Amino acid sequence: MLASVTEDMDMSKPSDLVQGTLDMLLLKILALEPMNGFAVSQRLKQVSGDVLQVSDGSLYPALHKLEQEGWITAEWKTSEYGRRAKYYSLTRLGRRQLEKEADNWDRLSSAISRVINLKEA
Amino acid sequence: MRPEHWLYTIPLRLRSLFRWGQADQELDDELRDHLERATEEYVAKGMAPEEARRRARLDLGGVEKVKEQCRDARRVNWIQDLIQDLRFSLRMLRKSPGFTAVAVLTLALGIGANTSIFSVVSAVLLRPLPYANPSQLVFVSEAKPEAGMSGLGMSYPPFTELQDNNRAFSAIAGFGRHALVLTGQGEPSEVSTVVVTSEFFSVLAAEPLLGRVFVAEDGQRGAAPVVVLSENLWRGRFGADPGIVTRSITLDMRPYTVIGVMPASFHTPFLNQTNQVWIPLAQDPLHSVWMTKPPREHWMAVIARVRSDISSAQVLTELDTIGARLAREFPAEKGWAIRTEPLQQTITGDVKLPLLLLLGAVGLVLLIACANVANLLLSRATSRSKEIAIRIALGAGKRRIARQLLTECAILGLLGGLIGTLVAYWGVATLVPLLPSSLPKFHAIRVDGWVLTFAFTLSLATSLVFGLAPVLSAVASDPHKELGEGARAGESAGPRRARAFLAVAEIALAMVLLTGAGLLMRSFAELTSINPGFEPNHVVKAMVSLPQFQYSTPKQWAAFSEELMTGLQAQPGMQDSAIAGPLPIVDCCVTLAFQIVGHPPMKEGTAESANYVPVSPRYFSVMGIPLLRGRLFNDSDSSSSAPVALISEALAKHYFPNEDSLGRHLLFGFPANGIVSREIVGIVGDIHDVSLGEEPGPMLYVPFAQAPLYGGEVVVKSTLSASAVVGAIRGVTHGIDKNLPVTDIAQLPNTLNASVAQPRFRTLLLGLFGAIALILAAVGIFGVISYSVSRRTRELGIRMALGAQPGSVLSMILRETLALTLIGIAVGIPCAVATTRLFTHLLFKVTPYDPVTLALVPFVLIAVGVLASYVPARRATRVDPMVALRCE
Repeated sequence: MLASVTEDMDMSKPSDLVQGTLDMLLLKILALEPMNGFAVSQRLKQVSGDVLQVSDGSLYPALHKLEQEGWITAEWKTSEYGRRAKYYSLTRLGRRQLEKEADNWDRLSSAISRVINLKEA
Repeated sequence: MRPEHWLYTIPLRLRSLFRWGQADQELDDELRDHLERATEEYVAKGMAPEEARRRARLDLGGVEKVKEQCRDARRVNWIQDLIQDLRFSLRMLRKSPGFTAVAVLTLALGIGANTSIFSVVSAVLLRPLPYANPSQLVFVSEAKPEAGMSGLGMSYPPFTELQDNNRAFSAIAGFGRHALVLTGQGEPSEVSTVVVTSEFFSVLAAEPLLGRVFVAEDGQRGAAPVVVLSENLWRGRFGADPGIVTRSITLDMRPYTVIGVMPASFHTPFLNQTNQVWIPLAQDPLHSVWMTKPPREHWMAVIARVRSDISSAQVLTELDTIGARLAREFPAEKGWAIRTEPLQQTITGDVKLPLLLLLGAVGLVLLIACANVANLLLSRATSRSKEIAIRIALGAGKRRIARQLLTECAILGLLGGLIGTLVAYWGVATLVPLLPSSLPKFHAIRVDGWVLTFAFTLSLATSLVFGLAPVLSAVASDPHKELGEGARAGESAGPRRARAFLAVAEIALAMVLLTGAGLLMRSFAELTSINPGFEPNHVVKAMVSLPQFQYSTPKQWAAFSEELMTGLQAQPGMQDSAIAGPLPIVDCCVTLAFQIVGHPPMKEGTAESANYVPVSPRYFSVMGIPLLRGRLFNDSDSSSSAPVALISEALAKHYFPNEDSLGRHLLFGFPANGIVSREIVGIVGDIHDVSLGEEPGPMLYVPFAQAPLYGGEVVVKSTLSASAVVGAIRGVTHGIDKNLPVTDIAQLPNTLNASVAQPRFRTLLLGLFGAIALILAAVGIFGVISYSVSRRTRELGIRMALGAQPGSVLSMILRETLALTLIGIAVGIPCAVATTRLFTHLLFKVTPYDPVTLALVPFVLIAVGVLASYVPARRATRVDPMVALRCE
């Protein structure tokens, strides 16, 4: 599951995001450019400023599931160091799924914001 | 998911299914690549390479686990798992060929036996009748509830009433059995004749192979005589003559025009013969007389097809109305009611219980076989417990392991089913010729699609049954305990108890089967030891028939029979010969009503009845029936002398309990003679006239010369060989008239045997199953005890080392066996009693609680159990203490 594991224990608060959210994040990252699994996990950490960290053990099953659903597709390429690696990229279906999930996320987060920002009487 | 999306993903799923091996390799590569990159990352951050590698690995978690989760994410997992399970299971089964062979053979025996019996049950009971819309067909019968009579045929006038005035049936027809003599086509021979009303073929919705079937005009009196042939007769006797339609054939010396041929797939209900002809009722020399007489003889079997829009309640009310109207019109019909039941039930009703009994018995055999295989599996599971523990420790889910073990069981079951099907082919081929001829055989009994489906389903179900216990016990094991340092090849209590339980269950089931078999055997022994009342040895019988149209008067019949008897008596070597009406057991009886002159008259509509037989004077000496009082018939009892009769002891005792019956008169008569007052001149011994199993009934004998029939059964007692006797009968008969057929030739002892064919068949089969059950139970006990001994080698070694005598070890093992067996018997007795109560009416003179059987069967089981455990027990005494103490 998605959880933050950092060296600094007092900074961590497990972000209990649902599986669907993880899917959305992965799709988005792959929408930017095709990359392999390791790079995805690094990018996620990097962009979110280390707040969102996906344990490697849950990253790969998630990627494989996305591939099975047909939202991403994989290709074995010879990387810059001359070694073979599996590169994932977004498909047309995946792009549509990403849009849908991003919309849902927007609506959900605005609703939550509205509730949280209620002024106390 | 939207449809197009789903379609799009199929290639992906298929790809992961088929290129699974490749996909697995790729997964491996992917994760390895990840670990390398992660290690590099950590090294770049300044960690030592070893430390970096360790961190990377920790971050990932268990590699195998991640792999498994990735595989789970691809949702075609279950097929891949199945294939993997299959390959693994096959490998494991190949590794222990002995175990696999024994298990598969045991299962094959059980499944094969079940499939064979199911073939019979399927063809006889389950398949619908071979007519269109068979559920619409009903059998119409008459019943007289107050006299306790039911299921009787209809007489003609009520039938016509029903035919003309009903709204419930789309077609209704009556039919009866006769046999006419076919001449002019080779040897004169009798042909099974079905006498039918005009709608017969419409009721059954049967289409002819050639020509046409009867229409209403054919059934009118005075119409041209027509006949329909069966295909087998057409091919056999008429050489498949394509111009058979409109040809004329001679039946009972009368010309009939052939109008059609029925295909071989058409069967007349109840009268299923391959060589058969059908003639309209109006054209039958014997039965057409019933068309004009008032109702008395209930001789017609009536079948009807219910309209599709009529409910069964409506049919009942309709029949009640018509029944009431008939009672008003014909006083003799008072008290009679008309009933219907589905035709399928009428045809198969009698054999349903015995067949289901056989199926139940063979099912028990299968259960015992399952228990044996389960025991084998339990033993094997114990030796594989280490392997399973390792797998669990490595992260395999318990459900996954259970699935794999069940796959092994399924493979065993299916293999057993495959070989069992081969056994069934052989079994059915052996069984079919042994089946009693009274079994309705509309469909060929063979291993067909239905039966194969049954075998397949049974194999799978069986695997589940015998696999459940071992699988559950295998996955319930605790890996820590199994793999711990001190873990020896000892055994937890669970599997041992399960094995003992299975052995007990086997013995209980065997007890049930053996009790059933024992009861049937005793019943059959009682049946065949009955004295039939006559002496069948060295007696040959043959039927001689006189065609009605040539020999139409009783005078002619009497003259013929006299000439026949004189001729036969003159033959050398024939000790004694006679001619008679229905013979006991072989033929159906003729029951007549009679009145006793001098006794108070009976109420209108009720009468005493007895079985009626015209016999020639020497009949009693041929058949060995003793004369008790008075005199037998002699040659002076002719048509011109006073009418006389002989009665059986049963009749005398019942109707003349306190008086002498000799000299009294009885009023009765067979149609041809009308009612006549006859004097009782003698009393003869009782005979079992209907069957060995039924009590002797009251019998009326009259001299053949005074009440001749149009032919009869010739019985000859002779020390000559049967073929010589038959040759002589034929010779004399054809000397008088060369066109007369001599049929139904048999030796009386054989006919007696044939009359108990059904009980014999049941007893043989159940005895066979009992024997198989006994062997399986013995094997089961052998397995349990010998495994228990091998597990206790250490303990036994210690005992011997401490000075125990071989004798005491032996008795210890035997006591264990006895305990198992006795518990099994204790459980089995109430089960046996409960089950045997179900087929009480199949037993003859033996109660379901028969003490002899109930005492003998446990004795046999104990003996067999002790015998089975003897070898392992001996092995236990030969344990070398030093070897035992050293082995771990």
